[in-house]
This record gives sequence, C-alpha cells and structure tokens, in this order.
Amino acid sequence: MSGAGEFKLGFVPLNDAAPLIVAKERGFFAAEGLDVQLSREVSWATVRDKVAAGALDGAHMLAPITLAATLGAGGEAQPMIAPMALNRSGAAFTLSRRLTAAMEPGESRQAGLARLIAARRAQGEPPLGFAVVFTYSMHNYLLRYWLAQAGIDPDRDVRITVVPPSRVAGKLAAGELDGFCAGEPWNAVAEDEGLGEVAFRAFDIWRDGPEKVFGVTAEWAQRHPQALQSLLRALLKAGAWADDAENRTQLAQLLARPEYVDASPASIARSLSTTTFHRGEANAPLPVQAGWLLSQMMRWGQAPREIDVAAVAAQVYRLDLYNQAAADLGWPSASAPDAADGFADGRAFRLDAAQAYAASFALGRLAHA
Amino acid sequence: MRVLVVDPDPARAALVVEGLSGVHPLEVRQAAVFDEQEAAGFEPDVVVVAADSPDRDTLESLQDASVSNPRPVVMFVDRSEPGLAEAAVRAGVAAYIVDGLAPGRVRAILEVAMSRFHLMHQLRQDLEKAKADLASRKTVERAKALLMKERGLEEEQAYKLLRKLSMDTGRPLGAVAADLLAFAGVLKGDQA
Repeated sequence: MSGAGEFKLGFVPLNDAAPLIVAKERGFFAAEGLDVQLSREVSWATVRDKVAAGALDGAHMLAPITLAATLGAGGEAQPMIAPMALNRSGAAFTLSRRLTAAMEPGESRQAGLARLIAARRAQGEPPLGFAVVFTYSMHNYLLRYWLAQAGIDPDRDVRITVVPPSRVAGKLAAGELDGFCAGEPWNAVAEDEGLGEVAFRAFDIWRDGPEKVFGVTAEWAQRHPQALQSLLRALLKAGAWADDAENRTQLAQLLARPEYVDASPASIARSLSTTTFHRGEANAPLPVQAGWLLSQMMRWGQAPREIDVAAVAAQVYRLDLYNQAAADLGWPSASAPDAADGFADGRAFRLDAAQAYAASFALGRLAHA
Repeated sequence: MRVLVVDPDPARAALVVEGLSGVHPLEVRQAAVFDEQEAAGFEPDVVVVAADSPDRDTLESLQDASVSNPRPVVMFVDRSEPGLAEAAVRAGVAAYIVDGLAPGRVRAILEVAMSRFHLMHQLRQDLEKAKADLASRKTVERAKALLMKERGLEEEQAYKLLRKLSMDTGRPLGAVAADLLAFAGVLKGDQA
C-alpha cells in the first residue's frame, strides 16, 4: 500500500485471529521485513468489502467468504483466494440455560431440542431463535447440519438470524436469543457468565473441519507474489508458536488485550484448547474442505447447483501457494486428498461427487426442489 | 423516500441526517443500532450504515431471509459507476436498498453520507491537533518555568535555550520540553 513492505491486515476479535496478532506482536512479520498494521473490524461484511476494495491488503476471514465473494453470492463478484488456513475447529453452539434446563436428564441435546420445538409448535408459540455470525460461515453450516440431523428444518422449524459475536451474550441474557453458533471465546464467555451451555463443538460434527483462512483478492496475490509468501511464512511461524502448549498462557493474555479480542483472559485461556493453529497440517488450504463448504452452500440454496465444485475449490483454495511457503520453512508439503471423512454421520465427502452429496440430505433446499 | 441511518456514532449520524434533509424532501431517521422490528415499522427504502457498525452483517443477512422478511435489501453497488463502491468503502459507508429502487436516487444519498463522514473525520482530526497543540504549549511553559527556577534564567533566556535544544536535536519544541520535564522528574526521584 503506502510503501514496500508495508501492509494493512484486518481481523475480527476472536481467538482464531491469533496467527495475525502473534505474527505482529512476536516479531514474525518484522523478521520477514514486513511492516504490518492490524485493523480491528467489527463486521465480516466490512472485512470482505475492505479487502475487495483494496482498503485492506488481506484479512482473517471466514472460509466461506472467499468462496461467496468469488461466486458473487450475496454481493458483487470479486475473486478471492485462501492461500492458507489459520486454524481448525474453535466454533461451538451454545444453548440458553432456559432450554437446557427444560431438557430431560439423559436426553441428548438434539433429541431434547426436537422435542421442545415440537411442543412449542403444538402450543402455537413462536419458533426458537438462533444466531450465527454471518450468512456465509462455517457456523451457519454446522448449526444447520446439526439441526437437520435431529430432523429440525433450519428454515422452517426455527428462526436463524445473524448477530455480531459481541452481542450474542447480551441477547441470550435478554431472552432475545435461544442459542448461538459462534467462534471462541464467545461461547466460553457465555458459559462463564452462566448464560448458556455448549451443545456441540465444531469437531463433534467434523473432526478435522476447517475454520478461518487468510484471505486476499486473486488480483492482489498476482500483484504481490513475494510479499504474499513473506506474509504466509510469518503467519505459519506464528501459528506454530500459538499451538505450542507452553505459549498458551502468554497467548491468552495477548489476545485478551483491549485492542485485540477484549475479553476475559480466563475465558480465552479455557477456550483456546478447542482450536488447532498448526498441528496436523492445520494450515493447509485443502480444496476438499472448500468443496464441502460449497456443497453446504448448494444444500441451503446459497450457491447454484450447476457450479463446477472441484474447479472453484482449486481456484480459491491455493494449496500450491501454501506448499511454496511450507517448503521455504523446511516443512513437509501437503497433498490434496479428493475425499474427506471424520463426519458425525459417518459419511464421506468426495470432491467429484459434491452435487450428489449436497442433494442427498433428507433436509435441504435441493431435496425439496 | 424513507432513509434509515444506522451509525454507532450519534454525532456523525446527526450530521448525515442534517445533510440529507437539505438535499431532498425525505423522511430520515437515525438509529445507533439496527433493530429489525423498528425497521419493519419504518419501512426504509434505503439504509445507510456505518462500516464500523457491527449491524452490517445482520442487515446483509436479510436479503436471504426472504421468507420472514418481506422487504429484502440489497447492497447498493452501481455497476455503471466504477470506483463508487471503493470510495464508499474507504469513507466507511455502506448502503442497502429495497430491491428495484432507482440507483440514481440512492447515489445522491450515498454521496451526502460520504461527504459528511469525511467532514466528521476532518473535524475530529482538527480537534485532536488543537488538543495536542495546547498540550505542547503547556509543556513548553512548564519546561521554561523549570529552567528559570533551576538555572536562574530569565524567561526569554529559558525559551532561547529550549529552542536551541530543539534545533540541535532536530526535534519539535514540545518534545524537547517534555523530555526535559521527564528527566527533571527522574533526577528529583519522582519516577523509578
């Protein structure tokens, strides 16, 4: 932007912004000769627009934003890429204490919720309201997946709205929400304040499921190939530092600062254990993960069903750029599997059969089409 | 046409509202927080929202919730005017409109909002600078008084000494004065 080596990156106050914050505060950016300014953003729409318009060089992003922006879903089409993943897991669904208290002992949360929803409908009460943090988010797809698994139609049986993470706890307390699916530390904060209880975590649905990515526009990546590699190396090293158990206390204190996540260090420290920043090739942007996200976008009517899933996934999830940075660091290169497993329902997802997979669910907008 | 201005900064929102009332005979309302119930009652044709309002994501989701929301909004991007969307993003303004509204009418509103956001930004910067200038002047006065007391100098001599220090080090007068006060504090044992 202003000078060579000077960059502005955006983040949203969440635990998984850690790689950016660590790279800045622990000198990983500086070691690469980069002068990075971090910009705290309050909404994902603003992150997307600022990156698209060039007001930010890159950002901590919800993985589906890079796909939606590339497809032009929910706005103007602007091809984006994810040259690395920032973390795996870290999201969770919190149900209000009012709901969990109404469930029977020994009853699963899914069964309990289905029963309570049926009872409310029988009594003519309004549907329960759940929040996700953005329309195009892993959180939205996880919640819908989990609800549908219990036979609950996320579009008909409950009301799903979008509420910024900073407001979910307050709305849960005020009774305006009955639950929310958001990134940490906001579930831990709600639990620590006695407002709700975690019903499932991201890894309960998909063991090694993806979370945030580092996103830039395809055009920016093309114009700054070397700077991008420097940024990736710094972020990869920062992720490895953040994953080290010995650094977790320090990390929690760093994230808790008012200019970053601005939440209680205790809640942050407790919730960091559910997020993986490095281990198990957590940073490799695997096209099969993008393919699964696209299958859920198709399932819920957010993306046209005729898109070439494998092609879009490979265009956006640039494993080649990740592998280049990994090789420079002497790390092993990651290969691109064409199938993924580890799902709660025991099924496997194949990149070359994404459409069939998307349409195969009993609940979804394709099944009714 | 009804316009809703959503901005967590009430002073800036008021400025936008004021600017709009001068340009169009419109019904304008301002809110710090977007409330779906309230908005449904007002039925805005255009929602101007500050980029630093966390409500953008909620507003954006309404275009998908066509079942529960009878008045879907779309992000305003005028494809015939390249650069307009970028300018709006940089100014920190986003606009959502009820689908089907003529883009020309929205553009005028967006431009008023953008210019008022710039104006507010400028006003705040000027205020910060005035505050800093005042603080600097006070620091220089205190450093002068210190030199007069400790070195037995006249006011004019004390000022000349400070100015010489400033020119020798190539640093602003206020910074040199602040350093002098800080060092004096340390020497007196005010700080560890």
